[in-house]
Amino acid sequence: MTTIVHLLPIDLSAIGHEHLTLAVIGYSVVFLSLFLLFLVFSVLPNFLARNLRKKFQKESGEKKTALAVTTIPGEVGAAIATAIALYLEELHDEESAILTIKKVGKSYSPWNSKIYNVINFNRFQR
Amino acid sequence: MEGFVRFFENTGFANVTPGHLLMILVGLLFIFLAIRYEYKPLLLVPIGFGILIGNTPFVEHAGLHLGIYEDGSVMNYLYMGVLKGIFPPLIFLGIGALTDFSPLISNPKLMLLGGAAQLGIFLTYIGAISLGFTNPEAASIGIIGGADGPTAIFLSSKLAPHLIGPIAIAAYSYMALLPVIQTPIMRLLTTKKERRIKMKPPRSVSKMEKILFPVVALLLTGFIAPGSLPLLGMLFFGNLLKESMVTQRLAETARNTMIDIVTIVLGLTIGASTQATTFLTQQSMHIFVLGATAFMFSTAGGVLFAKIMNLFLSTENKINPLIGAAGVSAVPDSALVVQMEGLKADPENHLIMHAMAPNVAGVIGSAVAAGIMMSFLL
Repeated sequence: MTTIVHLLPIDLSAIGHEHLTLAVIGYSVVFLSLFLLFLVFSVLPNFLARNLRKKFQKESGEKKTALAVTTIPGEVGAAIATAIALYLEELHDEESAILTIKKVGKSYSPWNSKIYNVINFNRFQR
Repeated sequence: MEGFVRFFENTGFANVTPGHLLMILVGLLFIFLAIRYEYKPLLLVPIGFGILIGNTPFVEHAGLHLGIYEDGSVMNYLYMGVLKGIFPPLIFLGIGALTDFSPLISNPKLMLLGGAAQLGIFLTYIGAISLGFTNPEAASIGIIGGADGPTAIFLSSKLAPHLIGPIAIAAYSYMALLPVIQTPIMRLLTTKKERRIKMKPPRSVSKMEKILFPVVALLLTGFIAPGSLPLLGMLFFGNLLKESMVTQRLAETARNTMIDIVTIVLGLTIGASTQATTFLTQQSMHIFVLGATAFMFSTAGGVLFAKIMNLFLSTENKINPLIGAAGVSAVPDSALVVQMEGLKADPENHLIMHAMAPNVAGVIGSAVAAGIMMSFLL
């Protein structure tokens, strides 16, 4: 215990009012700034949603008749989607006729030369 | 013969002290931990190697301009980025371009946990005062509790530049040791039932909200604590680059190339700043003890505040108090610790997305705390 006290000489009398004030105010201000952010971002989604709803309502008022005509039943949508999928699958056969085979040129090096190959039996036979 | 003696006097063998050897061992330990166990390798390898560079003994102040504390040396020039507080805001720019604030925007009440978990900063500040540190020194030590390396370096470069080495080493070492420090406190302060609480999945966040967040958050925090502007300005700027979707090239550079370059130089110079002759002091030992307590208090602050919030929340909106521990910044390590601990209590309870909210709020909270300290003490 004495060793710990010696290693960590704590002196509580060194803590003054100004230190406590800084700690309390500092902690409170950190909290306050995050609390304000919390408030803003709690309200913001509702605000954005209300604006969006107004926009939709305005648009729906103007295009009510048009929408009635353009509303497509689910079955029709499914049929169109199937048709598109089938059409896109058919496209598979249409290949561009461009050949992509490229000539690979190897520069000569004695390290890959067949003349110096270690299993060049013909040379040994001669 | 005389020439040989002079040469020998200049070698490391003639100038080595037990302190140098001890620090070299510490550097080797950092490198070992990073490579063998992959503990924060991106930080511990540069810092560990920097410790080796900084503690290779030589004749100091002999006009050789070698040491990091000698004017005109290469390391001294690089160290200017740390001393003048240039590197931390650049790191924050990269972090901003990396961070997704959606979990925070979708559940804004979790922001409060990021504030609560800064408790360690202010309690450690008081603790440092009681240990005889001056006001600016105590504030720089306290900020270790924010568990945010760049913030700790930034504040200490402004308030106590002579303590940057030990403060940075303490901050980064304890971040690597987060699972060891946080887990016992999390278990001690929560019941098994609380650890099993399942939270509602976060709602999807619109693009407009994501774009508005960095702008609104910057203006709010900047008006309250202008001292935090260099850090938070860059953080939110980086985030706007990411979320605006029209500056992908800039966001890409900020979150990859630039942050990597700055991390290399920052880690290396921080490591080299631990030169045994200036680093191994009783003050440094006190800083390590205070740093550990700061991390503990911050973790406890977050967890306890989550429990307090639960008293006022309805059953379906209850918070798993473990995520309070992620309020200490250390992105994303503390959130990963929470996830692991949550899985131990209930293998089907994934808390990572929820924990990321207080985690990124903690980054904002610790930067605001640094700004307040600066406003008070500069």
